Amino acid sequence: MFHTSSQRKHWMFRNEEEIIKLRRENVTMYADKHGDSMQVEDRPLYFLTYDEERLLCRHYEHLVRDFCRKFDPPMPPSVLGTSCAYFKRFYIHNTAMDYHPKWIMYTCIYLACKVEEFNVSIMQFVGNLPNNREKATELILNHELLIMQHLNFNLTVHNPFRPLEGFLIDIKTRVLHIADTEVLRKKAEEFIYRSLATDACLLFAPSQIALAAVLHSASKKGVNLDKYVTDSLVGKGNSDTLKQMVEQLKKVRFMVKHIEPLNPTKIQELEEKLQKCRNQELDPESQIYKKKLEEKLLAEEEETYIKRQLLSEETKRSEDQFLMSV
Amino acid sequence: MEQYTILGRIGEGAHGIVFKAKHIETGEVVAMKKVPLRRLEDGIPNTALREIKALQEIDESQHVVKLRDVFPHGTGFVLVFEFMLSDLSEVIRNSAKPLTEAQVKSYMQMLLKGVTYCHKNSIMHRDLKPANLLISETGHLKIADFGLARVFNNNEGRQYSHQVATRWYRAPELLYGARKYDEGVDLWAVGCIFGDLLNNSPLFPGESDIEQLCCVLRVLGTPTEKTWPGMKDLPDYKKISFPENPPIPLEQIVPDASPEALDLLKKFLVYPSKKRISAAEALLHPYFFTEPLPAHHSELPRPTRGARKRQHAQHAHEYDIDTALENSLVDPDLIAQFV
Repeated sequence: MFHTSSQRKHWMFRNEEEIIKLRRENVTMYADKHGDSMQVEDRPLYFLTYDEERLLCRHYEHLVRDFCRKFDPPMPPSVLGTSCAYFKRFYIHNTAMDYHPKWIMYTCIYLACKVEEFNVSIMQFVGNLPNNREKATELILNHELLIMQHLNFNLTVHNPFRPLEGFLIDIKTRVLHIADTEVLRKKAEEFIYRSLATDACLLFAPSQIALAAVLHSASKKGVNLDKYVTDSLVGKGNSDTLKQMVEQLKKVRFMVKHIEPLNPTKIQELEEKLQKCRNQELDPESQIYKKKLEEKLLAEEEETYIKRQLLSEETKRSEDQFLMSV
Repeated sequence: MEQYTILGRIGEGAHGIVFKAKHIETGEVVAMKKVPLRRLEDGIPNTALREIKALQEIDESQHVVKLRDVFPHGTGFVLVFEFMLSDLSEVIRNSAKPLTEAQVKSYMQMLLKGVTYCHKNSIMHRDLKPANLLISETGHLKIADFGLARVFNNNEGRQYSHQVATRWYRAPELLYGARKYDEGVDLWAVGCIFGDLLNNSPLFPGESDIEQLCCVLRVLGTPTEKTWPGMKDLPDYKKISFPENPPIPLEQIVPDASPEALDLLKKFLVYPSKKRISAAEALLHPYFFTEPLPAHHSELPRPTRGARKRQHAQHAHEYDIDTALENSLVDPDLIAQFV
């Protein structure tokens, strides 16, 4: 149920300003932390600014959608929706300068595959990458837990695809003047796919996005669903609810209609800028990172070793006692 | 991890060790399940993901164990649950007195409420058994161990593993190797647990998978195409055949049960999964509305795992709200001469 979900509780925001504020904080905090030897006015030249980071993340969101669509075997739309949601949620509380979107992106998709029960092995998964498969395997598996942690372990994502099916069935049974509801499907699905390029999933319930998609499709196809919305969905006499709902639906449609295009040359520049200003300690390809990981593994090995020793001593002691008592 | 002090080891779960620990800030005692993730080929195993996924979404049912916290630890992670003193298998086996009918009803009601909640949220547990039904200090029953839980999707008919559920509580379609099944496997398990509670011993205590099927068939009778349509299509149907025998009336298997109890039990233990009574429907069965009514949780046996400590407390004084106030006062005449 969406109503009691972790999505509604932890991953829905009041408005766009709230999201922008959180993302801005990530960027400024990073610049403050890593740029204390710099003049404040020089920082934007070296570190990614809010707008730059947004552009770069949106570029990677585009790559997420592209990778999912070309994935072999073809993946169900819910995996795509969940991957996008994970990626967006991750960068609500993190900056691309700490965690490079490239690996976050693949790990989000890999995790979404598992959570949505679209079972592919890691071999199959990296088989969809053009090269560097071994390295990718290692990096994806290393990032899995990190992503889960930053998602607050809230793994369930409610996507607009299921409510869309629901609306289509509902319209079929209740709106008799439409001969074939399937005519609405294509445009509605396109709308939902486009909505994945926006922050709609952080602001609206999946059913609202789905309804906006249906209504958008209906208007394109010249089908009138006003009566269905006012009478069947809202019910007569609930003009306040209706007003609120129309307001929300308008916002969704506005968002989906006004997606800024991505500028490839600018993105290339930003990639280079990111290479310089990113956090070396968190770069899985850097020496510092590798050393730290190794230390962690060693420490743990030692821990289990000591535990095992203690345990075997204990069994020995109890065995001795047992022998004595015989 | 720094927020907790480990108090001891509780046991070994399906994946990982379970510790008892104390949350330093609140003093609350919790159970910590450590899930190690070392050098696993495909990364974090699906079972662990499913458990987290299922538990993160259900936090308001009184009858499902609450996940308090999750955090990474080393290369694995730790699940933190509310600590529960005991489980239903202990209650069944350790209870000094056999459970009364009212108590059995109460446990069944709590179990069914928990199962209803899971099924309503599209989660099938797949491993219901007394040992996974934990009992809290207040006597409440809560469903735990979602390691095998699956979020199901009604319209897809997709394939699942049949190697789920502990043998005694495993539904017959699973024993025949079914790869497509539904929440009915949980309802079969509920029926078995019900029988367990009524009889104080397991209904179908098979020693092996084959013998398990034997046990079930001996009681319910050899299934026919009429009593179990579609049985012939199950993967392992042709691998095993059993001599034909008629069903034994459940009245003989569970001799002390009331007619209502038997009627409900029969509705769970049927071959076709779709014919089993749903948890929500079962809660409306006359069984729960005939005398004796389900016991209040305060009338259920107290968990025994920490029994030693608790007994002291009980010596102190027992207040009974039903006895007259005069009875608990000292007779003034008796002490008159000393004052």
